[in-house]
Amino acid sequence: MTLAVAAVLAMLAVLFVAAPFLREPAPARDVLDEPDAGRLELAEERDRALAALKELEFDHRTGKIGDEDYRELVGPLRSRAAEVLRALD
Amino acid sequence: MADLGRAALVLCLGLSLYAVVAGAYAAHSRKRRLAASAANALLASFGAAAVASAVLFSALWRHDFSFAYVADSTSLDLPLGYTLSAFWGGQEGSLLLWLLVLTGYSAAAVLLNRRRTRDLVAWAVPVLGVVAVFFSFLLVAVASPFVTQAAPLDGQGLNPSLQNPYMLAHPPLLYLGYVGLTVPFAFAMGALLSRRTDERWLVATRRWTLTAWTFLGVGQLLGAHWAYVEVGWGGYYAWDPVENAALMPWLAATAFLHSVMVQEKKGMLRVWNVLLVILAFCLSLFGTFLTRSGILNSIHSFTESSIGPWFLGFIALVTFGSLALLFLRLPLLRARTRLESAISREATFLYNNLLLVALCLTIFWGVVFPIVSEVVRGEAVTVGPPYYNFFLKVFGLPLLLLMGIGPLIAWRRASLAGLRRTFAWPLGAALLAGVVLLALGAGSSPVGLVGYTFCAFVLASILGEFFVGTRARRSLSRESWPAAFSSLVARNRRRYGGYVVHAAIVLLAIGVIGSSVYDSTAEAKLGPGQTMNVGNYALTYTDLQERETANAREVRAEVAVSRDGRALGIVRPGKNSYPVEDQVSNEMAIRSDLVTGEDLLLIAEQVNPDGTVHFRALVLPLVNLIWLAGAVFLAGALVTLWPDAREQRRLALRAEGRLVDA
Amino acid sequence: MSRRSNPARLVIALSVAAILAVFLLYTSVAGGTPSLKPSELQGRTGIVTLAGLVIAPVRGDAHGSGLRFELRDIGGSGSVPVRYRGSVPDLFRAGRHITLTGELRNGVFVGKPGTLVTKCPSKYTAKKQT
Repeated sequence: MTLAVAAVLAMLAVLFVAAPFLREPAPARDVLDEPDAGRLELAEERDRALAALKELEFDHRTGKIGDEDYRELVGPLRSRAAEVLRALD
Repeated sequence: MADLGRAALVLCLGLSLYAVVAGAYAAHSRKRRLAASAANALLASFGAAAVASAVLFSALWRHDFSFAYVADSTSLDLPLGYTLSAFWGGQEGSLLLWLLVLTGYSAAAVLLNRRRTRDLVAWAVPVLGVVAVFFSFLLVAVASPFVTQAAPLDGQGLNPSLQNPYMLAHPPLLYLGYVGLTVPFAFAMGALLSRRTDERWLVATRRWTLTAWTFLGVGQLLGAHWAYVEVGWGGYYAWDPVENAALMPWLAATAFLHSVMVQEKKGMLRVWNVLLVILAFCLSLFGTFLTRSGILNSIHSFTESSIGPWFLGFIALVTFGSLALLFLRLPLLRARTRLESAISREATFLYNNLLLVALCLTIFWGVVFPIVSEVVRGEAVTVGPPYYNFFLKVFGLPLLLLMGIGPLIAWRRASLAGLRRTFAWPLGAALLAGVVLLALGAGSSPVGLVGYTFCAFVLASILGEFFVGTRARRSLSRESWPAAFSSLVARNRRRYGGYVVHAAIVLLAIGVIGSSVYDSTAEAKLGPGQTMNVGNYALTYTDLQERETANAREVRAEVAVSRDGRALGIVRPGKNSYPVEDQVSNEMAIRSDLVTGEDLLLIAEQVNPDGTVHFRALVLPLVNLIWLAGAVFLAGALVTLWPDAREQRRLALRAEGRLVDA
Repeated sequence: MSRRSNPARLVIALSVAAILAVFLLYTSVAGGTPSLKPSELQGRTGIVTLAGLVIAPVRGDAHGSGLRFELRDIGGSGSVPVRYRGSVPDLFRAGRHITLTGELRNGVFVGKPGTLVTKCPSKYTAKKQT
């Protein structure tokens, strides 16, 4: 009895493992895709720059950064963000 | 039945092996179908582990004493809950629990990340498979829960001190934590193996790390509460090696959760983050090893067991393998930005990390010191609570202070004017609190006073953050205060959830400081009618009572409690004797004062034949804040974990639509 | 490679140095207690932690004149008489493994109050008093 159950389980497992091959015996492409590393990193850079701008804004609004510091920092951050956005398109 | 269990475990081993071999080859050669097949094997291994677990559960349920494991830890008269929880009570069962949770988590990780990060999953599968292979191998060949025997009439029963609800929850919660750290580790290794330098592995595993960390934290607090209430020596943490075994990975994971934020915002600390995730995972393996192998003279552990050397070997393999891989990929991980100022939020995160890792390593050193000294000097030297408490103060107090300072400092660099502005309120609040506490007599312990002042600083800082944030939001959106508050939190779940967690840690610190530094103890042998004093309380022993229940003989001393002349009720400390297990258990009486958070503990150490009782009494101020901290911790963690629709959409857009043939 | 000083490296180096200094300071001042078997106790002075098997009979009153018993090597034959006053864990009895911190005085190992810890050899967590 237990032998039968075990055998059935083993068969199910093998079927499940083989499923990708059974479903597509002769696919047109069998390559595992990768996202473009360059674009991905640029996208992460962009998000980082935009988030930094938001943080700066918030820190300024809550008083952690004074007006002069804010003025000094916001310019470079904005141009960095713009640079990345341009590189992405 | 046992055969089915054994077969399921062999099947699990086979599937995990396939996942490792096929998965590694598929990831390396970029074969899509083979990678999917390997992932399926990992999913199926969960099924196999589930079948094996079901067999063991059913054997427990049916009191099938032909299973040696069932006979060893249950008996016919044991309530069902405890019978089922015996699943993880013994070594073999706890390994099976590890395997079940591991394959379950692996399956979930694969399924959740399949679409967005298929290439990353392709490498994570073999790494997860390696861990699964190890555990299934142990279960198949070294420590099987399905050993059978001629069934005895009744089992050996469960230690009465384990028959309480905490023991039902404590081990599974800890395991959900320990095992959970495997997923970030596997994805980190996957990222290294695939030579990727992007941060998808961080983003994919952030919630896993948070979840595992939360389970570990809550599990430890439950364990401490159990020790406090049930074991009853008047404490909640003894720096026992097995307690430390859970604390160390938790500390490493805490450091990791913080430094991850720096990497996300600045692209810094990339090598450090990989090191931390390796450390956290290795410590969780080490923690499992400590609890189960008996290598250390710990009261939690068992005598010499067969799995010890295997565990040690596996930990060594994982440590060296992952460090070697990191070393090989070092050129890819160079940081792009540098730390601009020693006074910036990045810097406080760095200090926080250094302190956390230092504390973690000193605890580790204390735990392995007996082994090291035995090897070096031929004599095992143990370090006790004084060593750990010293370093807890040295590293913990600055950490406490940093929790308050960090949020007040801006990113990149802070200006003096800005600091003056933001520090004013918390510093003022802290000084005021310090003066008040001094007046109340907290100066009896300088360390305690300093600790409390730091706590006041941090709480004021957190409240300030919520206030200025809500005010800033209001000025933008013109919402009412409550609406602005909830939208503030909703838009920055991680930050404000994190602040709630910090508040929980402060509560924990207050409770720990109060109960360890400002406590009072007293011991006395009392005859009927006699009184003893402890702290502000007067305890009068009035009567001795005995009672027989189904499985125990209960002896209780009736003691009237009063404070400042006012009667506060009766407590009944005593002892229970269990004839079947031939054991005596201490039943400590606790009277909690919910207003002050203080506990009065009364232990009837010895009941003498002439009716006199030797009592030990303790007063622990503020100790209940520790348990409150647990609830706040959980709430804060939930806020941080809560899915953020906006963020999910952004990440999805970032990942999708960018797939190319390489 | 920027020639500008990098605060991060300096911070890390100083922190590591500070931590090591604290470490050395502590371990040289405090230190731990050696863990011994009864047979290794001969002629030892100072506070040590003894680990062994409790041999019957166990006499006396832990909260009165003192609990008296013999402690033997686990898996060995050397033993030493023990006297202990203080809290006794529930699992304590003859035949159990215990650890006790104290010192040898006139051939008797005198344990410090509250340091008696019982180990339960085959089951899960044992009771303890610290």
